[in-house]
Amino acid sequence: MSVDTILRPAPLTTREVSFQELDNDINRPLESFPTFRWWIAISITSGMATLFLVGIYYTVFYGIGTWGNNNPVGWGFAIVNFVFWIGIGHAGTLISAILFLLRQAWRTAIARFAEAMTIFAVICALQFPLFHTGRPWLAAFWLLPLPNHNDIWVNFRSPLLWDVFAVSTYGLVSFMFWYTGLVPDFATIRDRAKHPIRKMAYGILSLGWTGSHRAWQHYEKAYLLFAGFATPLVLSVHSVVSFDFAVSVIPGWHTTIFPPYFVAGAIFSGFGMVATLIIIMRKMFKLEYLVTDDHLELMNKVIITTSMMVGFAYITELFIAWYSGVAYERYAFMNRAVGPYAWAYWTMFSCNVIFPQLLWFKKIRRSALLMYPIIILINVGMWFERFVIVVSSLHRDYLPSSWDYFTPTIIDWFLFIGSFGIFLTLMLLFCRFLPTISIAEAKAFSPGAQPSGAHHE
Amino acid sequence: MVEKHKLEKPQNSLPIPAQLKPYALRTHEEVSTPLTMTRRSMLKNSAAWLTMAYGLAACDRVPPRKIVSRPNLPEYQTPGEAVYYASTWTDGNYPYPMLVKTVDGRPIKIDGNPDVAINFGKSTSSMQASTLSLYDPDRLRHPLKDGKKVSWEDADKDIIGKLKEAKSVVLVTRSNIGPSERDLVKRFQDIQPKLRHLVYEAIHDGLRQGTWEEVFEQEGESLPKFSQADIILSLESDFLGTDGIVPENVREFITKRKISDKNPTMSRLYMVESTMSVTGSNADTRFRLRSSQMLSFTKALLASLRGEGKELSEYAKKHNLSETNLSSLVSDLNSHKEKSLVVAGPHHSKAVQATVALINQELGAFGKTLAWNSKPATLSANSQEEIEQAFSEEVDVFICMGTNPVYSWAGNDFSNLLKKAKLTIAHGLYIDETMSACTYALPSHHNLESWNDAAPRDGLYTFCQPTISKLHDTRQEAESLLVWARGISKDSKGLDYRSNDTENLWYSYIRYYANKDKKERQWIKSLEKGVIGEIVTTEFPKLNADKANKLGEASVASGEYELLVTPHHSLYDGRFANNPWLQELPDPTTKLVWDNAAMLSHTTAKKLGVEMNDLIDIQAGKATIQLPVLPVKGIADNVIVATLGHGREKAGTIGSKQGHSISALKGTPDSPWHFPDVKVKKNGEKYTLVRTQKYFSMEDRPLALDTTLSKFKKDSEVFHHKQHKPSYSQLHDHYDYSINATPYKWAMAIDLNSCIGCNTCMLACQVENNISFVGKEECSNGREMHWIRIDRYEGGDEDNPTIHHQPMLCQHCDNAPCESVCPVQATAHSPDGLNEMVYNRCVGTRYCANNCPYKVRRFNYYDYRDLRDSVQELAFNPQVTVRSRGVMEKCTFCVQRINSAKFEAKNDGKEVADGAIQTACQEVCPSQAIHFGNINDPNSHVAQIAKSSRAYKVLEEINVRPSISYLGKVRNPSENV
Repeated sequence: MSVDTILRPAPLTTREVSFQELDNDINRPLESFPTFRWWIAISITSGMATLFLVGIYYTVFYGIGTWGNNNPVGWGFAIVNFVFWIGIGHAGTLISAILFLLRQAWRTAIARFAEAMTIFAVICALQFPLFHTGRPWLAAFWLLPLPNHNDIWVNFRSPLLWDVFAVSTYGLVSFMFWYTGLVPDFATIRDRAKHPIRKMAYGILSLGWTGSHRAWQHYEKAYLLFAGFATPLVLSVHSVVSFDFAVSVIPGWHTTIFPPYFVAGAIFSGFGMVATLIIIMRKMFKLEYLVTDDHLELMNKVIITTSMMVGFAYITELFIAWYSGVAYERYAFMNRAVGPYAWAYWTMFSCNVIFPQLLWFKKIRRSALLMYPIIILINVGMWFERFVIVVSSLHRDYLPSSWDYFTPTIIDWFLFIGSFGIFLTLMLLFCRFLPTISIAEAKAFSPGAQPSGAHHE
Repeated sequence: MVEKHKLEKPQNSLPIPAQLKPYALRTHEEVSTPLTMTRRSMLKNSAAWLTMAYGLAACDRVPPRKIVSRPNLPEYQTPGEAVYYASTWTDGNYPYPMLVKTVDGRPIKIDGNPDVAINFGKSTSSMQASTLSLYDPDRLRHPLKDGKKVSWEDADKDIIGKLKEAKSVVLVTRSNIGPSERDLVKRFQDIQPKLRHLVYEAIHDGLRQGTWEEVFEQEGESLPKFSQADIILSLESDFLGTDGIVPENVREFITKRKISDKNPTMSRLYMVESTMSVTGSNADTRFRLRSSQMLSFTKALLASLRGEGKELSEYAKKHNLSETNLSSLVSDLNSHKEKSLVVAGPHHSKAVQATVALINQELGAFGKTLAWNSKPATLSANSQEEIEQAFSEEVDVFICMGTNPVYSWAGNDFSNLLKKAKLTIAHGLYIDETMSACTYALPSHHNLESWNDAAPRDGLYTFCQPTISKLHDTRQEAESLLVWARGISKDSKGLDYRSNDTENLWYSYIRYYANKDKKERQWIKSLEKGVIGEIVTTEFPKLNADKANKLGEASVASGEYELLVTPHHSLYDGRFANNPWLQELPDPTTKLVWDNAAMLSHTTAKKLGVEMNDLIDIQAGKATIQLPVLPVKGIADNVIVATLGHGREKAGTIGSKQGHSISALKGTPDSPWHFPDVKVKKNGEKYTLVRTQKYFSMEDRPLALDTTLSKFKKDSEVFHHKQHKPSYSQLHDHYDYSINATPYKWAMAIDLNSCIGCNTCMLACQVENNISFVGKEECSNGREMHWIRIDRYEGGDEDNPTIHHQPMLCQHCDNAPCESVCPVQATAHSPDGLNEMVYNRCVGTRYCANNCPYKVRRFNYYDYRDLRDSVQELAFNPQVTVRSRGVMEKCTFCVQRINSAKFEAKNDGKEVADGAIQTACQEVCPSQAIHFGNINDPNSHVAQIAKSSRAYKVLEEINVRPSISYLGKVRNPSENV
């Protein structure tokens, strides 16, 4: 079966809409005074984000000792959260770049939203590797290959350095890609704006967009180029992140399956997060006719596919651990399944592999209400996947004399909840200031917009 | 004996201790600089200051300090270079000759004096930790009267007045006081005849030594010569842990445990014990037996040795001991007459001690495997009853010196006795329980600030000299006695020493005493060497068998549960409780830190319905104590073992309220530390015990390998069958460590057959490398900082396990997994094979620690430098960086020592000689299990050892190429088994 038949092309909207209607509906949240619900939401999320600042205060002023990390478990929540957020970020580029190249027109409904999510997820992710270091004030620039007086260079053999390059490239390219797509929409908002300051602000952001033929031509080319450029990054970023573990010698980490397994997991979790948020968004902004049940179903198909991919990876890991005959390897995986962290392992397994199987039912796939609990569990499960990989491998490695147990502290929780606060606050601001669906693309792909039937020969 | 490298002989003894004073203190005095200024310079300066103020506003403010140059340097002192002083450690239960390393006038490291044929340069962990006690900010810094500061003059005036008029004076000292001090007390008694001198020790050898003196009818002590014995039976004597002169015992014992590949022979150690001691963990055959049964066991053994019936096999059945093991013990002892030895722990009753003497006579041990020392190094302690007797009438003056009865007095009612005294005076280091209960609390010099002497063995004198001038307004105990004695007798009658020097009374006294036997010309030399005389061997006295038989006629009634109280492995009787290094040194058996516990077997725990951390009430007589439960494999059922030394009320910031005191319990004079009948019940409350190791199973992994002697004889390659060594192809080139590429490649070899698991190396490493302690809470978070640790694994029988000890430290892998993952190259390889850690460069990603398969890297999760007071800075080794928060650290193979040796060799135009570098752990190891050197030199000691057929590397199959070889352990159980 080809991608086309599984991801059956769906019409972008459920009904015919005029350009004027699209402009009005998509821009409404930007142009009206924020609703009461928005204020409630942002006060909660920014409250959560404040916890992050509290956590960082304690971490920087007192040390990593405020976390639950210990001697065998040198990496705890911070790295779990880092990998989790990077994973969340994956859906954006996949949707905007790969689906664009595959000419999946339905992506328009979710692309802008997913891209925004990517950038905010990368922002959240970047906090953790910096603040998890013992001396972040030095790590902030010593991890960059900056020329210095003493000719001290970074270590290009270290996967952490590869991370620096991979994540920063990914973040920058994602941002530029997103911004490029936003330019025509900025111009639309500018043109609709009544207040001079608003007009000027969006005018600057729109980079003098005129909507001329030449501009559109350049725009389409640039967009295509970025899509081509971003596509390998979808695969590379999480592969590189997985090298943090795969390149080590620790049983449970030292596995060649990690790069594809991490990429599949990232797409899985990314789609999970997109679905989680966009269902709320389309309800709040009454855009169900643009983000249709067809789109949800298509996303669910991606989710169940990737769910089975990670499930396959989990079982392969277990099999290979047994097949290798290496005692340490065997123990590491047995320990995951039946050791002190078995609860985390089975949470991960059931949330990521078992519950998503419900999406085989079309009724569930097409119902926002029915799929929602499953999607939430996927978010939980994917966080636990990273927890299992990071913590359960470290807490019991080669020498039993060093074995210990990791328990997170209140500061760990502050940082974890706080990162959600930052992410959601940014999402809310995004909904308030930027069009959540690409107006230009929606116009282009809405039924009747494209010339049809008439072939130029 | 390995030769002590680079032993800087003190070229001149220090003439007067006061010379050291200004230098020792100078950097810590914050002195404000006087400021002179004109109008012009003020304007000039203010411009500069403004710039600086803005520029530096963000930086830390360092308080102004004055740097003073030292115009008159003693000729033997070079700044930054170590000077070693020979001295004696008198803080413990035995006067160990020591060598103190001082740098720039401050003592920073203690090791044994290698020139003395007792400990041969070895030391105990408490001795190692002494430097930290010297700089303890909690030390009392000036005399107190009723808690208020008082001058020495006023205190002396008052005390002398009271002493003059006193009708009864009681002086209580500790047992480890030197000959000069003893002599001084005698002279004091001449002046004030009403003075009674008593010796109080919470733990002493009185029962055992008393029995010897009774049955051998001679003053003295019997010393085990483990090096002469092929068969050793220990009856609960932890001679490798806490019983006796441990470094000497270990050296003696290990002599017969070092084996060669070609012709391996070794001694055999049988252990009968209720607890699980260090000695027990090294036994070839170990029996679990309740302490109360020790008497019946010795009697049955004696009967069997005499060939009287089948008592032993009946005994084995009755007490559930292995009959084959017991019969092999008897046959081994019988077949090794004059080459076997039985020792019993000091806590056993006189009946056990007397029976053991009879057994040793049966074995012909006297003069062969047991030697007689007619002059024990320490005074024998008085029993509590004798001390109580002294208080039966009213006491005018009570003086307590260097001992703390208020804390450790069994029954906890010493304060009642104190009430009977009109004037109470205590002399000590801290405001401890006794000091705060007395009218006068007088601060003593620390050992390292004191003049003293000692007679560790008959014929041998050692000296104790100050290695730093006094840090606070303190005075040595003996000096106080001298001042008071002079005060009482105006004409100095009875004090016929040269006394022109009124400043250093005690110094001139000691010197006078040393010279009394016309040793004047030896004074300087003996101070340099730290020792004069030679050990006099005495003929072993004859045993009075009738007396011994009579003493042996006793029986012990035991209840359902019994309690055995043992000294703590590092705090001893609690006197070192305020030393955090010792508090955090894990118990060799349980790995417990900062606490004591009721250790009992898993069966007993099940029977009582308790598990780890449950509090239990232990009732003996009327008194009840509370202890948290810690189940330990190997302890005899129905026995509870607890250590003394914790639960101090007033030890100081560190030691107060750590753990639980057991001094409320009071035993009988014949059994002060063993309670044969106690009631135990679950208390219902919980406590948190913290251990640095939680899993003791090796999980069938080839980590600490062992075999038996008979198997090893058959196949010397036996250790290599357990190892998996695949061949690897390399992705990239590695450093070239061949002899052509580098003259030096440092490596270590650790002989597991020698390692007894005593943990002393951990402490030596901590002292040498400025390793922080982290406290109980951080230990419970799993963040202890020890660079070297002793991994302990249990194997075999669940109830009576075989114990494996494995020192684990950075393996300095040639293909180090930590190095490749560090993003900033803060850990890298040196050309001579060291895995180096660059603290300054480290940003603390902790990736290296994660990727270390041995988990030996330690991270500074907090700022662990405990600097409550600037005096603590003096304890740091100036050659080693003090690490700040957020950086990784680990074993460096004592790189500072390696580099000093290399510089020295380079200056001399030579290569570093084999043995010129000793790592701190190697230097202190009493069993010489650790060998270090240049593996690229095929003739080096370490290269030879690493070639042994017992040598293997841990986790070799992951291709990290460790530089440390382990030599597999060989056990020697009887071949009948």
